[in-house]
Amino acid sequence: MCNKRLIDWVVIVPLLAIIAAPGLIQTAFEVRNRERPGVFEVFDRAPTARNLHDFERDLERSSLVLRVLRPWVQYGRFRLLADPGEKAVAGRDGWLFYEPGVRFVVERRSEPWQPGRAAIDAIRAFRDELQARGIVLYVVPVPGKESVYPDQLAWRATDAGVIVPARTAWLFDELRRHGIAAIDLFTVFRQLRGGRVHASPLYLAQDTHWSPQGAQLAAHAVAERILRSGAIALGNRRYRARTAAVDRVGDLVLMLQSPAIEAFVSPERVLCRQVLEPDSDVPYHDEPAAEVLVLGDSFLRIYERDEPGSAGFLAQLASELQAPVASIVNDGGGATLVRQELARRPNLLKNKRVVIWEFAERDLRDALDGWHIVSLDRSNSIPR
Amino acid sequence: MCESMRSAGVGIWLVLAGGLAPGCGPAAYDIEPSRDTHGTIEVTARLLEIPPGAIFERELYNYATVLKYQVLEVHRGKVNGDVIYVGHYNPARPRAQVADKLVPAIGGNLKTFHAGDVHRLSLDGAMLDHFSGGVLNKYAEEGADPIYWAVWTDLVRE
Repeated sequence: MCNKRLIDWVVIVPLLAIIAAPGLIQTAFEVRNRERPGVFEVFDRAPTARNLHDFERDLERSSLVLRVLRPWVQYGRFRLLADPGEKAVAGRDGWLFYEPGVRFVVERRSEPWQPGRAAIDAIRAFRDELQARGIVLYVVPVPGKESVYPDQLAWRATDAGVIVPARTAWLFDELRRHGIAAIDLFTVFRQLRGGRVHASPLYLAQDTHWSPQGAQLAAHAVAERILRSGAIALGNRRYRARTAAVDRVGDLVLMLQSPAIEAFVSPERVLCRQVLEPDSDVPYHDEPAAEVLVLGDSFLRIYERDEPGSAGFLAQLASELQAPVASIVNDGGGATLVRQELARRPNLLKNKRVVIWEFAERDLRDALDGWHIVSLDRSNSIPR
Repeated sequence: MCESMRSAGVGIWLVLAGGLAPGCGPAAYDIEPSRDTHGTIEVTARLLEIPPGAIFERELYNYATVLKYQVLEVHRGKVNGDVIYVGHYNPARPRAQVADKLVPAIGGNLKTFHAGDVHRLSLDGAMLDHFSGGVLNKYAEEGADPIYWAVWTDLVRE
């Protein structure tokens, strides 16, 4: 009998301690830092469902125990179970994929597809506003890594090659129907990689973005198309270039927010083509008065504003055009936020002949802040 | 039984001591905990609203969101008008934990943004001079300008 009670207590007391410990630790920590214990914030607002939900979320966000333990639990899952967590998907050969990107490729779209319609309406309105100013718009949906390397995601897709997800195919059809110029990087990438993983992959293994080679290939395709159309002529600025190596920890690794995983995963070494101003060692830089304006998301930022600098899509495009470009870059904001920023900076439309609008294909469904029509009216008076 | 109770008690005190240990102190990017020395402008202002979708957890990218304030008192510097627009970096995180390699000089005691709360803010002018990442501006149609950059955000208890 005595033994049974002892066993009961041995189980109950540690269990209660485990339950109580995070709260006690948190309170002790906050008192030590002369802060008001967060637990009392429950009394600061009316006990509505929303306020209680917010309170619970705040407790979780500020929890010291969670902050300390979570990265190690994630590390354990990553090492022992090859599980990168909820927002990433482990592929083959150490490749990681972004879960929303995978869903974009594999999920069927519903009918009627409202986000798609909103995207088309926004693109049409933007094209019309630019056209009224004598500016040609080129839309450049960038393939997700999952579309270009489905074989690295699952062995069943070994022979799939580069795929065009149903939503993206729909977008291209709609753009064609409305007479909007689009540049198809899917075909470009398919031609290069064929059915195999190229020696220099077009996308990074641990990142959502393209490799320097992918950015360079895309810039080449875009430049070729614009020059062929006659919208602008080849410039005369002979940029130079040099090779720059960068060791890059992928955004999919950083997203896990576990220093132990970051230390475990080797950075990817990539060789970039850094573009330099003519007759100097000064890295390429944009010029707001250029004839070409490029709008886009982090696919424009990588290698350009990140290390090594001046080696991303923008610099490669300028190198191909032999002329500088102007740009607006907004991480994850390729759908609407870049146009909002353009509306705030109407001077950027001065002297423009071409606008290139890049966005990630998964933005068709997951765009930050959705797809909205943004009026450029404030720039109506800009002289050309 | 006494032994197991004693062990559990020791365990609880150990975890409490863990919470008080120096190793659990502020993050490496925390700046000097004083709003007076940061920014060029200092105001007390009421957060008028949080537009739907303006604040959320974002896994892949850092971002800043623009929020609208009613200025109650100007302590230092000068602002344009009674209503101002302020950019906050990664607003879903407590201000004390938000500093990182990209934006190292930022802080405050505010844990969560709630519409109607009063904040004491240290600000710098022109957000885009201080932050070049993604900006979520739900007030774009209102022509929000200038957008101040929040360096330090403390909650004011009324």
